[in-house]
Amino acid sequence: MNRKAAWHGLWPWLCAASVALSLLLLGLLLTLLLTRGLGHFWPAPLEAVTLTSGETFAGEVIREAELPDRSGQERLYFIGNRDNSAQDSHGTRFRWVSLDTILKREAPAQLVRLSRSPWGDFIGQLEAFEHSGQRLEDNAAWQALSQALAQPKNARPNARLTLRPLNGEAFIQPLAEVYRASRPNAMSWLSKVRYWADGVGRFLSQGPRAANTGGGVWPAIFGTVVMVIVMSVIVMPFGVLAAIYLNEIAQQHRFTRLVRIGVRNLAGVPSIVYGVFGLGAFVYGIGATVDEWFFSASLPSPTFGTGGLLWASLTLSLLTLPVVIVATEEGLARIPDAQREGAVALGATRLETLTRVVLPMAAPAMLTALILAVARAAGEVAPLMLVGVAKLAPQVPVDATFPYLHLERKFMHLGYHLFDTAFHGDSVQAAIPLVYATALLLVLIVLVLNLTAIFLRHYLRRKRATT
Amino acid sequence: MISPSRLRTAQPRRQFQDRLATAIIVVGAVAVLAAILAIGIFLLWHSLPVLAMPLPSITQKLTVLAWGTLKAALFTLLFAIPVALCAAVYTALYLPPRMRHRIKPALEMMEAVPGVVVGFIAGVILAPWVEQHLASALALLVWPPASALLAGLVWQALAPRRLPFNQAWLWLIPWLLAMGWLALWAAPLFEHYLLGVDLRYVLETRLGVDYATRNAMIVGIAMGFAVVPGIYALADDALSDVPASLMEGAQALGADRWQTLWRVALPAAGPGIFSAVLIGAGRAVGETMIVLMASSNAALISASPFEGMRTIAAAVAIELPEAAPMSTTYHLLIFAALVLFLFTFLVNTLAEVVRLRLRSRLLRLGGGV
Amino acid sequence: MTNAVTTPAVRFAPEHTSLCIEGLSLAYAGKPALDELTLDIPRHRITAFIGPSGCGKSTLLRALNRLHDLNPDVTRQGRIAFEGEDIHAAHTDVAELRRRIGMVFQAPNPFPMSIYENVAFGLRLQNRLKKRQRDDVIEWALRSAALWDEVKDRLHTSAWQLSGGQQQRLVIARTLAVKPDILLLDEPASALDPISTLKIEELMGDLKHQLTLVLVTHNMQQAARVSDYTAFVDHGRLIEYGTTDDIFTNPRLRRTENYITGRMN
Repeated sequence: MNRKAAWHGLWPWLCAASVALSLLLLGLLLTLLLTRGLGHFWPAPLEAVTLTSGETFAGEVIREAELPDRSGQERLYFIGNRDNSAQDSHGTRFRWVSLDTILKREAPAQLVRLSRSPWGDFIGQLEAFEHSGQRLEDNAAWQALSQALAQPKNARPNARLTLRPLNGEAFIQPLAEVYRASRPNAMSWLSKVRYWADGVGRFLSQGPRAANTGGGVWPAIFGTVVMVIVMSVIVMPFGVLAAIYLNEIAQQHRFTRLVRIGVRNLAGVPSIVYGVFGLGAFVYGIGATVDEWFFSASLPSPTFGTGGLLWASLTLSLLTLPVVIVATEEGLARIPDAQREGAVALGATRLETLTRVVLPMAAPAMLTALILAVARAAGEVAPLMLVGVAKLAPQVPVDATFPYLHLERKFMHLGYHLFDTAFHGDSVQAAIPLVYATALLLVLIVLVLNLTAIFLRHYLRRKRATT
Repeated sequence: MISPSRLRTAQPRRQFQDRLATAIIVVGAVAVLAAILAIGIFLLWHSLPVLAMPLPSITQKLTVLAWGTLKAALFTLLFAIPVALCAAVYTALYLPPRMRHRIKPALEMMEAVPGVVVGFIAGVILAPWVEQHLASALALLVWPPASALLAGLVWQALAPRRLPFNQAWLWLIPWLLAMGWLALWAAPLFEHYLLGVDLRYVLETRLGVDYATRNAMIVGIAMGFAVVPGIYALADDALSDVPASLMEGAQALGADRWQTLWRVALPAAGPGIFSAVLIGAGRAVGETMIVLMASSNAALISASPFEGMRTIAAAVAIELPEAAPMSTTYHLLIFAALVLFLFTFLVNTLAEVVRLRLRSRLLRLGGGV
Repeated sequence: MTNAVTTPAVRFAPEHTSLCIEGLSLAYAGKPALDELTLDIPRHRITAFIGPSGCGKSTLLRALNRLHDLNPDVTRQGRIAFEGEDIHAAHTDVAELRRRIGMVFQAPNPFPMSIYENVAFGLRLQNRLKKRQRDDVIEWALRSAALWDEVKDRLHTSAWQLSGGQQQRLVIARTLAVKPDILLLDEPASALDPISTLKIEELMGDLKHQLTLVLVTHNMQQAARVSDYTAFVDHGRLIEYGTTDDIFTNPRLRRTENYITGRMN
């Protein structure tokens, strides 16, 4: 009996540990994303490594691991310089080095890191800066380069740089292909912070480069936002109308209850099923018919008969419809009948009662519904893979040519961009830091939206309780 | 003196606007209902050609997918049910309501993390690590939960007043972190001492187990992470709806808290917990991105936790964009989606009905005592 | 239950009758709530409905401005005439009917708007008045409800900040602003303190010079204090109807007497 009682005292600890474990997992996930996602933009120190073989190279330390074949450790360096033909690992940007082959590690201040457009990063020495016959060397060259890069892109001088990798021949690099330069080993703490903030800014405001291993996610952010806006414009009226019908007009019969359960369960239908419906019914069904009728000139290349912004938005509206209906209805149901009766007793019609009393009071609930729908849509990827998301959209869906909003165009989406970069890029290893940053951005957007909705709901309940 | 038209409308426009608005609302609602029905009808209509296909080819393909789907869901639930139900028991029965209302939204945040992010972490970061440190990973799965019991023993021996049990969720976090670190430190030593070589090497060479980097174990953990909050929230609701008077009655008869839980709370909330698990199963069956990214997507039938699977949802996501419209594959995949649709719809309806029934029963119980 | 006999309804001459109820029966989802009620409600008088809780007096009141239309489960038989006109006639505009027959509820239900907007609510529906005129009407309504002096300096603050008694008077002012012919009051003071109750009762006395009042109350003293006529309703039936003096000092039926003297719960 006593022993049994002791066990009874212990089992609840497993329960407490479950809560702790769940919170821990969530915390670990967020910490991982935060450190890796934001850490990527921090200017990492560069090393000049001399090997026992006499070879020298420069790179950034990524991580260490155990040697696969014998005891000891090896270290992974990011060395960049894909265009350096002297590099034996030509074409790759990473290099594993066994620790016992390293003779010397230094951190010379003059090591530069350049971000370039066709060949990716360069790590090495800046020998000279040539502009209109003038040749500047070493520190003067670095200063000239910094000044040139501080200008807007089209105002930069048409200069040429002479670059020398530690393990190769010097070569000429046109300035036009360089968009960022740093000397991380020579940077003060403050300038590192500035460089970091600048990097985050570029990530948010620029397009992807070099097969998604560089640049930013601006088109994906833009595409996601446009898609979510179009979706909201479609889903909100219908969701709110349906909620009003269910709560204010329909007689509370068995049928209404059935419809309500049906709507609730629709929220549990897998998102991929909506994608299938979107592809079959919207793209192949309606889209193909629209093409036949209005865009027959450009057939067989489809206009609306292929995935695009409109179909993606429509599909996600269907997906988020239950979210909107349930949240709105909850808000409507919480308004006391006395308010409706008060308006009606003053001679208000049903419409006037709705627009002047009920809907204003339900506005925060509708806002909550919108936020939840947007959060759901922003994180959803599976249906979009079927109905119109693109790896790299040549054109954004909004531009200055009529009709400004191009509903038939494919668009980029943060979640799909993440999936595609992490799984289908040609250099996943090099793209991983940016994938972390993208994942962090996505999680932050979705979590902030959800927290806002939770706060709104909580606030509403408290407000109702006090009056 | 009294004109007979006193109650006739003075403002026909208001009346007209009202009727128009009512009509618009009804039309909106009907449109929503029609859209819902359209999904079902579309799936049904476009999977009809499957009936004309030769049976063996259908069953062969679908069996693999169904197996994969069930396997993924099973491993998910294996991880998610214990964690979610235990967490629900703790927050519903051991925490003061105020604290419970703080923790619940925090746990529900787990569900908000997009599947594509969870899939990325699991498939690209976790899976390769586990492949290289299999012994450590297994130790991490086993040791920290066991260490919670140890924490309980220590606590009972020391009975510290500053660490009350209802705050255990908080100070168990550093404890678990420390124990996890301990497991990571000790596992390679044990592995070396007991086996002399890598555990995965032993599995593959001596036991003949195939090991895929992205396997059912990874899927189970990753999808478990996504499914836990859903099960937890509903189970927590069901358990906290159990009237306090019922439990106090049992405790007055001399049952301790754990016995009360087993004999009174769990049976009373049983249907609610059942519906929570159903909802979780529905979610696990339909989740696409996590499976797509964290499993090998190899179409094979195997029960091994170290091999992957291909689920219906993943197959649809991969194959449908490439299938020509109205081709055999197209119809077959739509049929698979229909199966998914019907399954989740039925499971969710069942769960909802059970939940509502239980709720009214418990309300009556609470009111009656 | 000795006197199950329905007393003959009190009738008034048409020119003195505001509402004429004939054979009114009501049922909630098949369960009868009112049974064959027939009575006239005199113009510019206060008529009180008394009776035990659940007897149907509130149901009767809500039938008078067709508030039961909101609930599709309610079925009705019989006729109600307002100023000689059937309120259920096909051409009736329910909104107009409800404007003419205003209603004040048991719990104050001001809208979540400013005091001014609460009173302006009904006026804005009509949309006939310019701002100056509207301001005048609002001031008049608030004065009539004996609230003006208390709120004139904070017309644009939220109505939910007022005390319960003030809220109830605000609701009365809001109803008066649309110039109703009849004011239905459903236990208007049951949620209020004695001082507020007194104010509302004084107000009713003032108002009966302008309009017809119908009061539902479970408080017999209140009915005796303010009303001119009293109807005793029990189990959905009209038991006795007459002048308040008659009912309270000289009831014809033992059942009425029992209720009034408190021998019946």
